[in-house]
Amino acid sequence: MKRSGPLLTLLAGLLLGLFMLSLNATTGTKTASSTYQDEPSPSPTPKRTVTSPAPTPTRSPSRTPIPNADYAGRTDDDSAAVAVTLRDGKAIAYFCDGRDKESWLKGDVRDDGSMRLTGKGDAELNGTLKAGKRIRGTVDIGGGHYAFTADKAKKPSGLYRATAAVRGAKIDGGWIVLRDGTQVGILTRDGEPSPAPRIDPETGVVTVDGQQLTARPVTP
Amino acid sequence: MTVDPNAATQGFPSPKPARGGPHPARYLVPALVAAAVAVALGVYGKVHDPAGTAFNLAGFSSTGAVKSWLATVSLFFALVQLMSALMLYGKLPGPRWSSTLHRWSGRVAFLVAVPVAVHCLYALGYQTYESRVFWHSLLGCFFFGAFSAKMLLLRWERLPGWMLPLVGGLVFTALTLIWLTSAFWFFSTFGVTT
Repeated sequence: MKRSGPLLTLLAGLLLGLFMLSLNATTGTKTASSTYQDEPSPSPTPKRTVTSPAPTPTRSPSRTPIPNADYAGRTDDDSAAVAVTLRDGKAIAYFCDGRDKESWLKGDVRDDGSMRLTGKGDAELNGTLKAGKRIRGTVDIGGGHYAFTADKAKKPSGLYRATAAVRGAKIDGGWIVLRDGTQVGILTRDGEPSPAPRIDPETGVVTVDGQQLTARPVTP
Repeated sequence: MTVDPNAATQGFPSPKPARGGPHPARYLVPALVAAAVAVALGVYGKVHDPAGTAFNLAGFSSTGAVKSWLATVSLFFALVQLMSALMLYGKLPGPRWSSTLHRWSGRVAFLVAVPVAVHCLYALGYQTYESRVFWHSLLGCFFFGAFSAKMLLLRWERLPGWMLPLVGGLVFTALTLIWLTSAFWFFSTFGVTT
């Protein structure tokens, strides 16, 4: 009396799902590893200790270091995005509302995971790394006060920047690619901010005023 | 077939048996399987560390586009499902092969949706940071639970007459809402691209 067709349908779906999952797990470049160790993220820009002639040894190597990782998320009011990249105890962050308000912020990460980053025009970011999974904090910029949560980001989500000269204009673009694939970015032409065109998150290629540029992951 | 109005408080699916139907406990099996599937998918999506990327198909600009088109194909066959179901119930004039059409359009719709769900769960996970994303995550898990229940219910003959339309309608509604919160959003945000 029992029909087996529906069961076979379910079974086929299950097998297909498992097959695709195993395909992902084997072909994905180590992304399936469940360990939360800082992966040697293949950022094309080599790590450089920028303008630190006297590197103060604030952290002894025996202490557990802050893992190198990228974080991206939105402000609580959903009006802007925030991305933070941590490398070797240093942090660079980008706040961007996708229209005209943006700020690049830099600073050090303390051993307890807290950070105070500063940018141009008294912009300030105060944040704390929670269990290596997310950064919770606030950004003060241009008289505004924004609380944000940035979750750990995996490629291709993260923070990208492109600088170039296109037809005599100095171009500076910043992009935050969020986990769901949405992008928040601002392109500044000779200091004039405007919404940025989309980058290809896989390659970082973006076309600005007819010229192709490549946005690269940002490291402190 | 009459429905006991008190049965509504029993939740989904109402375990009130039809006269001469199978034992009410039998309805528990599809209901429990549905709950287990939905919860398992949700827990996996929540616990698994989202990989961010997964497979892509040649010819498409992004996984978002691939998924949106697959989801649209699935929704198309779901509409065929609705039509062929109406034919089966005599609400629409239909050919003799409408039951075959119903079966196979359902299989295609389901199998096309599976890779999309795998990508969602593997690469993105169960997320709640926006209401759109929250509803999409919730309904995505619900859909596969409800679909499992529908398939298991089909195994029993002599169901109450309202049972299959109800569960099938839930599955269809869930898929439509999932499509609206993902593919429709994708197409309206980024344009209809491939």
